[in-house]
Amino acid sequence: MKNAIFGTLIATALLSGCNQTSEKGSGDGEKLVVGATMLSMQNEFIVNVSDEMEAKAKELDVDLITVDAERSALKQVEQVESFIAQGVDAIIMNPCEVEASSPAVKLAMAANIPIINVNSETSAKPTAFVGSDDTESARIAMKYLAEKLGGKGNILIMHGFMGQAAQLKRDNGAKEILKANPGLKLLAEQTGEWDRAKGMSLTENWIQSYGSKINAIFAHNDEMGMGAVKALEAAGLKNKVIVVSVDAIPDALQAVKKGTLDATIFQNAKEQGSKAIETAVKAAKKEAFDKEVLIPFQLVTKENVGEFLK
Amino acid sequence: MPPTQNLRLTKFGQYGIYLAFLILCIVLAFSTPRFFTVSNLLIIGTQVSINALLAFGVTFVIITGGIDLSLGSMVAVTGVVAATFAHPDTYPLAVPLLAGLGAGLLFGAFNGLVITKSKVPPFIVTLGTMTIGRGLALILSKGRPISNLSDSFNFIGGGNIFGIPFPIIILIVAFIVCAVILNKTVLGRYMYAVGGNEPAARASGIRVGNVKMWVYTICGILSAMGGILLTARITTGQPNAGAGFELDAIAAAIIGGTSTSGGTGTMTGTLIGALLIGVISNSLDLLNVTSYYQQVVMGVIIIGAVVLDGFGKKD
Repeated sequence: MKNAIFGTLIATALLSGCNQTSEKGSGDGEKLVVGATMLSMQNEFIVNVSDEMEAKAKELDVDLITVDAERSALKQVEQVESFIAQGVDAIIMNPCEVEASSPAVKLAMAANIPIINVNSETSAKPTAFVGSDDTESARIAMKYLAEKLGGKGNILIMHGFMGQAAQLKRDNGAKEILKANPGLKLLAEQTGEWDRAKGMSLTENWIQSYGSKINAIFAHNDEMGMGAVKALEAAGLKNKVIVVSVDAIPDALQAVKKGTLDATIFQNAKEQGSKAIETAVKAAKKEAFDKEVLIPFQLVTKENVGEFLK
Repeated sequence: MPPTQNLRLTKFGQYGIYLAFLILCIVLAFSTPRFFTVSNLLIIGTQVSINALLAFGVTFVIITGGIDLSLGSMVAVTGVVAATFAHPDTYPLAVPLLAGLGAGLLFGAFNGLVITKSKVPPFIVTLGTMTIGRGLALILSKGRPISNLSDSFNFIGGGNIFGIPFPIIILIVAFIVCAVILNKTVLGRYMYAVGGNEPAARASGIRVGNVKMWVYTICGILSAMGGILLTARITTGQPNAGAGFELDAIAAAIIGGTSTSGGTGTMTGTLIGALLIGVISNSLDLLNVTSYYQQVVMGVIIIGAVVLDGFGKKD
């Protein structure tokens, strides 16, 4: 009996602590309702996009229901189905996968509910797309490396999780620049699975293999880039190796400021979040909107890092 | 079943895995000159340390016939808790360490308590606490990595003492303590007894519940050590850290000769198992084996090592 009471208390406490969205159901009928399904709320960048969507929704007086797909495309499709059943006015989807999340787009289109993809794409064409072109981020990073090295040197590339859209696109962009700069030699490429500890271990192993031959490392995201910096620092090689990565997470910005990370590529989470809501509202109200809102990447180096640090 | 018989059996079967490890190292030493260097061996030791700590913990658990799937989540929770108190100029170093270890102790004790009181299989209980732990780590960190940690805290993961990386020192100390607990204490003998034949252990007066409480708690503390080490190594407390770590740890224990049916296993075997996994992943990078193939090769070598171990046991 004691256990049951205790359990109920804990459960109640937990539930009352985490219902960010439940108070939204009882609003007045005129308010627009937007349902959003996000790739993963365990990802800092996605959390930033989601926070900005929340803020923008408040500003525009829109009810926003945000759910976490936890990286499962199946779950995401089910979430969109339930949005359709709830009769939301617009759906924002941050797709888990290019192919597997596509059925959600088709379902929403069939139900005549506008669906806006944010941050990444699906093969099925949505009402609108808000995001950045990942290929471009890698181009910017590799161009920076090429310039810094004077077009000549040995490069290592650390991939994201193999087969994901961001990894494939960043790889395409990087290879484009490699091709354009025959003086750049790709020593090795390997996956660090987006993870800082894995990126660090991989770099440690690379240092064993190539040592002072390494001139630069391009990591597909900042987490791995930060891991590479750690390993290089420990081996006393950081001042000889240029490291560039993508995302401009707060840690990476601090590292750029300190000069340990040479550059990062800023992907604008705030712009993506607010433009997604704006587009969704316009589409729901049947006002004119852009079918493709591309938010440009920006190169962040020591010179301009101040603009990005809050 | 008398514990001595188990000990003799495992000692005998251990040769296989040592042989496999030795062969692998010799092959690698010849295939890449970079492998057998002091700096590379120290790096392998550092990279292995976290998995080895978790593997030691889960070895205790598996010997009693249990399993712990919440290792990776415990790494995340304890890492986040330690990082919260590890900002520079806030608390003395002891605070983040004790907070992290305390969190691991509580988490492990909770596992043990639920398993002994509810009679629900450990697989199910720790599957549940695995998700609970992941959620807690995200709640405590608000889904964001906790960075800006003090230098003294980061020393745990990145510092050297007389040229030896600190994680290796922790690894060696933990190994000795765990081996002593398992081989030289009454508790250790009870663990074998409980895993070998639980009803018999109960009948002979061993408090099975207490033994289980101990192993899950020890496992929690070792996971916390892994969590603190990881946090200090990457100088951030990350709520999504440690995902999948439980599988590597369980693999190390099993490769090292710990039987999933309980009652057998040694710390030395587990250490070799962890080293084997570490050496493989290090050398695949050194040999620049493509990412796709790395996973296949890793699986083949693991199965191969265990098969070789099985031959050793039959002799």
